[in-house]
Amino acid sequence: MTVPLPPESLVRQGRDLRVDLLRGIALWLIFVDHTPGNLLGWVTLRNLAFCDATEFFVLLAGYGAGLAYGGMAEREGWAIAAARVLGRVFTLYVSHIFLFVLLTAQVGFSAAALEQTTYLDELMLDPFANEPYRAMLEALLLRYQPAFLDILPMYIVMLALFAPALALVGRPGVLLLLSAALYVAARAFGLTLPSWTGSGWHFNPFAWQFLFVIGVVLARLPSELLGRRFPWRWWIAALVVVVLAGIAVALNLVWHAPALGFEPPALLADAFWRVDKTSLHPARLVSALMIVWLLVHLVPPTARWVGGRGAAPFVLMGQQGLAVFCAGIFLSFLGRLAIEASSGLPMQLAVNFAGLGALILVAAISAWYGRGGRRRTPASLPSATPPATA
Amino acid sequence: MRALALVLMLSAMAAPARAEPAGCGAPAELLDAQPMPGLIRAAGRGTPLRALVIGSASVTGPGGTGPAAAWPSRFATLLGMRLQPSEVTVEVQGGRGLAVADHVRLLAEWLPRLRPQLVIWQVGTIEAARGVPRDEFAEALRNGLAAARAAGAEVVLMDPQFSRFLRANADVEAYRDTMRLMAAAAGAQVFSRWSIMLGWAESDRLDLERAPRARRTALTDELNDCLARALVEFVLDGMAEVRR
Repeated sequence: MTVPLPPESLVRQGRDLRVDLLRGIALWLIFVDHTPGNLLGWVTLRNLAFCDATEFFVLLAGYGAGLAYGGMAEREGWAIAAARVLGRVFTLYVSHIFLFVLLTAQVGFSAAALEQTTYLDELMLDPFANEPYRAMLEALLLRYQPAFLDILPMYIVMLALFAPALALVGRPGVLLLLSAALYVAARAFGLTLPSWTGSGWHFNPFAWQFLFVIGVVLARLPSELLGRRFPWRWWIAALVVVVLAGIAVALNLVWHAPALGFEPPALLADAFWRVDKTSLHPARLVSALMIVWLLVHLVPPTARWVGGRGAAPFVLMGQQGLAVFCAGIFLSFLGRLAIEASSGLPMQLAVNFAGLGALILVAAISAWYGRGGRRRTPASLPSATPPATA
Repeated sequence: MRALALVLMLSAMAAPARAEPAGCGAPAELLDAQPMPGLIRAAGRGTPLRALVIGSASVTGPGGTGPAAAWPSRFATLLGMRLQPSEVTVEVQGGRGLAVADHVRLLAEWLPRLRPQLVIWQVGTIEAARGVPRDEFAEALRNGLAAARAAGAEVVLMDPQFSRFLRANADVEAYRDTMRLMAAAAGAQVFSRWSIMLGWAESDRLDLERAPRARRTALTDELNDCLARALVEFVLDGMAEVRR
């Protein structure tokens, strides 16, 4: 497995590499969290905070979209940029359907490989066995989303909403206000998209779009302005750290203390269950923004290590977002099959090393190929990441 | 076939003779319970201890030799032996495909009728597999737990059976987290069937998913028996905690 070029030479320069680094890490964590039984899954963000990699994926998707399409809208007009966004939406849709077909095959394979009929036959885990044509139709309508295949549908709808919203990209205040209004309405009135089973989507795009738009606005506002609005203050940082650490301790107390023999306060547990992921509970939103604020200040844009050899694989992954995301979901299917076969330490190590290695490889190939493609036919690849000249 | 099953079952029941720790070797920390004062009060009165079991298919012991070999009735028998001269009766309500909302209805119907001191509520499998929205799941659990606690019962939530297939294809951990939260919020407890069965599968003690077809019925009975034994240790620990 040799990469044609060392990762750092494939990294596109002239942009905020911290964004790519954080996105790359989020993509890696999404792979880990999508491989149930993976021991690494116990030390990812979701065990320590209200939010998890999904929040960062969405925020940074918004940031990337703001840079790429926002700039395009200003230079070339709304119509062109919106058309580009819709092209991207189609790419995402096709990717989702492709992953769906792969997942269905994996579930079928697992069901055949493991004896599960005796006690899982009631579960409806495999709607294809009961109503194959209906299941296919519902999947195409995005109304049927199997477990772990629910991020892309949200992304698709968010990006589709972003096409008309691009008209407001020059007025970030208005955009943010409208987005916040939709978020509040989604939470207050249960506004969501329907799923096949009669409930709403696992990720309500009308709520999650707020985080996406926050990313867009962060990308559009000049960094000096942001620096003035959200300056570094020791006491704020201390407060944020205390709050985040307190949440981490309290969450683990409620989850794990009963098994260790002491009872957590019922009040805590009663508050925590209300923190829903489906419609992005404000506690999740605020947690994610606090972590971002902390990271932005703790890692200055001038930090040498972000552009260094150690961070390069993750930066590269972050720059090749969609390819790495899809590869990660696909690899997580393989990871599941592997962990199904054996969940011991050797297999854990193999799944995680091979998984991360493959993600880096995919990113490297995608970057290498993308560079060639861009030289031959400029701007032929719609991309959520900004052009190298940004 | 039946005879074979019986022999295997008897050998399973004789397992403690091989010096296996109580509860078929389930890790001690998974059998630690919080105090269950309600059960002590019941045992003190000399009336039978009434347990209500609510759940989906597994309460009827599918794949085994029948309801008598399913964990709820094994649990009543084994706990009765340990609590002599007190008696233990169990009412089993549930069945295939019944999900959390159905369980809450069953609780509303059976709590006043039976006035149980102990409610064992097996839930989470169907919800995880069908991807029931977690806030709906939490809300229903909350209502059911509140009703059972208000009726004066000690409540034990039992989480899904461990299965590699379920683990790979449903977000089970999220539902187990919700169960832990709701139990903690209502003063109920979680008996982690998932973790216990995971331990059995990993140590090759009991692994239904990898069992050859011919042994499956017998192993299903053994699994039910072992779950009942582990649950008995859990409940007895909850009673002992009161006296400590």
